[in-house]
Amino acid sequence: MRPLDPRLLRYASAARWFLLVGAALGLAQTLVVVAFAWFLSRAISLAVAGYGPAELAPTLGALVVVVVARAALVWLLEVAASRGAASVKSQLRARVLGRLAERGPDWLAGTQSAGVATLVGQGLDALDNYFARYLPQLLLAGIATPILVLVMLWQDLPSGITVIVVLPFIPLFMVLIGQATQAVQRAQWDALQRLGAGFLDLVGGLATLKIFGREARQADRVRTITEAYRGRTMKVLRVSFLSGFVLELGSSLSVALVAVSIGLRLVDGSLQLGVGLFVLLLAPEAFLPVRQVGAQFHAAADGLAAAEDVFAILDDAPAPAAPLAAVWTGPTDAARPANAARPAPDALRFDRVRVRRSADRAGRAAPEFTAVFLPGRLSVIRGASGAGKSTLVAALQGFVPFDGQISLGDAVVVPGTPRPWLAWAGQRPGLLAGTIADNVALGESSADPALVHWALREAGAGELDPATRLGVNGDGLSGGQAQRVAAARAVYRARLHGCRVLVLDEPSSALDPVAEQRLVSGLRRLAAEGLIVIVVSHRPLLRDAADQVVELDGAAHV
Amino acid sequence: MSEPTLDAAAAAAAAAGAVAAEPAVSAPARTRRLSTATRAILRLAQPRARWFLPGLAAGVASMLCAVALLATSAWLITRAAEQPPILYLSMAVVGVRAFALGRSAFRYLDRLSSHDAAFRQLSLLRVGVFSRIIPLAPAGLADTGRGELLTRLVRDVDALQDLPLRVVQPLATAGIVAALSVAGVWSVLPAAGLTLLLSLVVAGVLGALGSGVLAARAERELAPLRGNLTGQVLEVVENLDVLTAFGALTGRLDALRRADELLRRATLRRSLGVGVQGAVLSLFAGAATVAALAVGIPALAAGGSGGAAGGLAGPAFAVIVLVPMAVFEVFGTVPAALGAWREVRSSAERVATAVPTEIPAEIPVEVPVGVPVEIPSGGATGPTRGERARIVELTDLGARWPGAASPAVTGVFLRLAPGDRVHLAGPSGAGKTSLAQALVRFLDYTGSYTLGGVEARLLPQSEVRAVVGLCEQRPWLFDDSIRQNLLFARDTATDEELLAVVDRVGLAEWAAERGGLDARVGERGALVSGGQAQRIALARALLADFPVLVVDEPTANVDEEQGDRLVRDILVTAAEDGRAVLLISHTPVPDELITARVTLPGRDPGLRRAAGVLPA
Repeated sequence: MRPLDPRLLRYASAARWFLLVGAALGLAQTLVVVAFAWFLSRAISLAVAGYGPAELAPTLGALVVVVVARAALVWLLEVAASRGAASVKSQLRARVLGRLAERGPDWLAGTQSAGVATLVGQGLDALDNYFARYLPQLLLAGIATPILVLVMLWQDLPSGITVIVVLPFIPLFMVLIGQATQAVQRAQWDALQRLGAGFLDLVGGLATLKIFGREARQADRVRTITEAYRGRTMKVLRVSFLSGFVLELGSSLSVALVAVSIGLRLVDGSLQLGVGLFVLLLAPEAFLPVRQVGAQFHAAADGLAAAEDVFAILDDAPAPAAPLAAVWTGPTDAARPANAARPAPDALRFDRVRVRRSADRAGRAAPEFTAVFLPGRLSVIRGASGAGKSTLVAALQGFVPFDGQISLGDAVVVPGTPRPWLAWAGQRPGLLAGTIADNVALGESSADPALVHWALREAGAGELDPATRLGVNGDGLSGGQAQRVAAARAVYRARLHGCRVLVLDEPSSALDPVAEQRLVSGLRRLAAEGLIVIVVSHRPLLRDAADQVVELDGAAHV
Repeated sequence: MSEPTLDAAAAAAAAAGAVAAEPAVSAPARTRRLSTATRAILRLAQPRARWFLPGLAAGVASMLCAVALLATSAWLITRAAEQPPILYLSMAVVGVRAFALGRSAFRYLDRLSSHDAAFRQLSLLRVGVFSRIIPLAPAGLADTGRGELLTRLVRDVDALQDLPLRVVQPLATAGIVAALSVAGVWSVLPAAGLTLLLSLVVAGVLGALGSGVLAARAERELAPLRGNLTGQVLEVVENLDVLTAFGALTGRLDALRRADELLRRATLRRSLGVGVQGAVLSLFAGAATVAALAVGIPALAAGGSGGAAGGLAGPAFAVIVLVPMAVFEVFGTVPAALGAWREVRSSAERVATAVPTEIPAEIPVEVPVGVPVEIPSGGATGPTRGERARIVELTDLGARWPGAASPAVTGVFLRLAPGDRVHLAGPSGAGKTSLAQALVRFLDYTGSYTLGGVEARLLPQSEVRAVVGLCEQRPWLFDDSIRQNLLFARDTATDEELLAVVDRVGLAEWAAERGGLDARVGERGALVSGGQAQRIALARALLADFPVLVVDEPTANVDEEQGDRLVRDILVTAAEDGRAVLLISHTPVPDELITARVTLPGRDPGLRRAAGVLPA
């Protein structure tokens, strides 16, 4: 993990701005530190030399100014870090969401959507610590440390050399210890992960354990797991705390070396007290940013990890310029001999459609699908679970790349273009927070109450009040109700936009027989109006009501 | 607690080895009082003195070494400038080196020892919370039914480790070291001790107040904005397909951008308050140094000119001027500790709320062991005694969830005898799951529920659950092998028996593909599908051989086709074993598989209409 990923600067202009401001403030802070040490050492040495309060008043005054300036700079740097973090988070969030919209649902499905949502929502907040505690110290380590070492060299060569000799040992040892820690951690990783999650596992499964009468001894198990966790974690910590030890040792030992060497040279009179004190005060300051960078690394690691996840999404280049679907180039007539006999100018045709899926769950190639769906008909697609029914629907929607050709009437369905002719309801209802009417009229600027009511009725959900307010994910409706509202949403769109195709993916899996019958009747009426109605289901009721049942292996049973 | 300063209070707390850090910190940030339950949780999180004190001692020693290193160095240099015989300096030279080593060595010991103590306490803390959860789970855990909230609870319990590590120890260390330093400076020059004390107190109070008030105010403004944004992001990401398909994505992204902009603007407005704490500390650190100079210079001048015994010598003057810098460096850990305290407090409050100390009335309390229960013996005719003990009879049964205004289910009449296979249908919200929870005594009931003629309330819960088993709607799989996930249902089972039961539930091929019983199911069963998880749960129930089995919505997380097969397998195996089954399912079940069908109506007419039970 790099301390400062260049991609952060590339993707978030606010990060560049923060680096500039931070560097300027860091430089100012360094100057103030030098000034403070200078005036303080001067005040002490002059006082010791016998100067009274009156002669020292100007020095004290200067010191007060420096102290105020130092506090102001500390404040400004933190303010800048906080503002920088807020702006960077906004910029990264906007970019990731833009990328999601660009790449579409199928790509998202391959990236674990829950992870993406958490990352964009709260995960990025981990950058706060990175900006507040780590980056400023990193800047100071780059600006303050060299300047302070130069000042020390100029004022007192031996002390400067001492610091220069000790400084490189710190990163060196940290790297060595870091590697050792990693080795220990790797050896313990699996066990640590499991033991770490063990408590959650037991709490979560407590109901199950009670059912089987096993709850009594579990408290002992909690103790055993936690003790084992402690043992293994401490083994890792013994090594990883060594890096902190080296940091502290390096900085305090060099202060001690500088102090003793100055003391000895003061005794033989080769050095002034003022210079000696000045250098003594600068020595720990030169080490401070380096120590902080080391100490805050863990605080920053979460932010860096979150940023890296974001970059992984942003770096994932869009699919090659080739179209999502290769246009079918084979002999078209030969491809559909069965249909050639019956002209159907408005039919939806699947010609040897094979979804291009990189990772099929069962490791099988997707089946090739050829079928014709006619207007005025209710068609049911069946197939074993995992056969790719929903993927086929996604291909129709243009969400996944496929070989072969889909055409509606004379027009070839081109991927990546809007589908004004298609209304769809997925397996998951996918309802949003808002009223039922808002959900049914999704995508429209306003809802037509009469049409909403009609759509709900056609979907077998006429008893629901369109004004009912739903929570996130359609909270407030039962599974079956949500399914019917989702169906109504597709029906509404179909009617409003005059869509020619209505596709419902397992619309009745959570419906009781009465509700299912009402939905089927509604679908029959819609088909009778001339729509191409396609339902993915294997419910007997739907199968019996269908004009056409298509098995996913491609054979059509009319 | 009436200590005047934050650090003194914390020091006292640490010295007593108690958890007194809470009153110490809540005194300045007096926004909310801690409830007794929260206090109890916090007490559970603080390690006992025997574990905690070694770490604290090492921490104090390390910080004292840091202060002493600067003090000795200052003394050494200033004294050396007076060019005394070098012998006079040798002690200081040794001291400087020893303090430099001591600071890092003690720090290492401190970190090891305090982490060890925190982990030791974690074990007690987890056991303590777990023991309180046992009688409550699952129905009595307030609002933790949802998986993510449960994860939250566990994470909160583990976050309480920070109480000793990041709150009590830093505060106590800073307090003790500050107090000792003040005493040391005081002994050299009382006026300088006083100015140092004042600077520390004012910085501590202002810093704590600033952190408390500003952070709380910012949080009040930002939290709802952040929550709103997070909610919107989740909605867009989860429903990307729907939003794309309905052409609503652009509008949603615009709304999201606006929410983001609101949050960003509010954060920028609040950013001015962020650095105040650090600035205050830096300011007063400087003030303490300047004040030490201001009171030291006259004293030095008096000592220098008069040569009186009470006068201040040069080296001592350098010490009292430079020590405040080192003390404030130690004191710099206080803001972070206060921040950690706010987080620990919220965690403790959430744990206290989620795990109530008192068991709610709706959760059945265990029958005291040894209460004799009159079990009516079976007559000479009719079912045998063994069969009688397995007859479940519900008469006007009702159940209510803790905190709910009205019962979730009422008026259930049902009789289950060996061999009965009953399909319990009903709309969502009709109380099907509540009934299942009452049957295994996770929820208490009203009316009557007898098992073999004995009121279930009078039986030990374990005895009821030995007869009535439950396949949960979301069966929990432990992150372990298939074998371990089955074995706890009957720990005497041989591998042959396990394989046989795996075969009966139709998983033989699946298990073989994955390498048999040793195949792991993943965290929370991540490596198995919903249908397979249900089948493993069914296998567990078969192994435990419950005479009466309640199966709660086995098809809820399974696709249609697999669901139908699963229901068939459940009912067929039950028929083979002569087991009584209550199958709870909203989807239709073929008549030939069941012996009876019961429909729970929804409770209130509105709901019933909405669910399609009554005509609209």
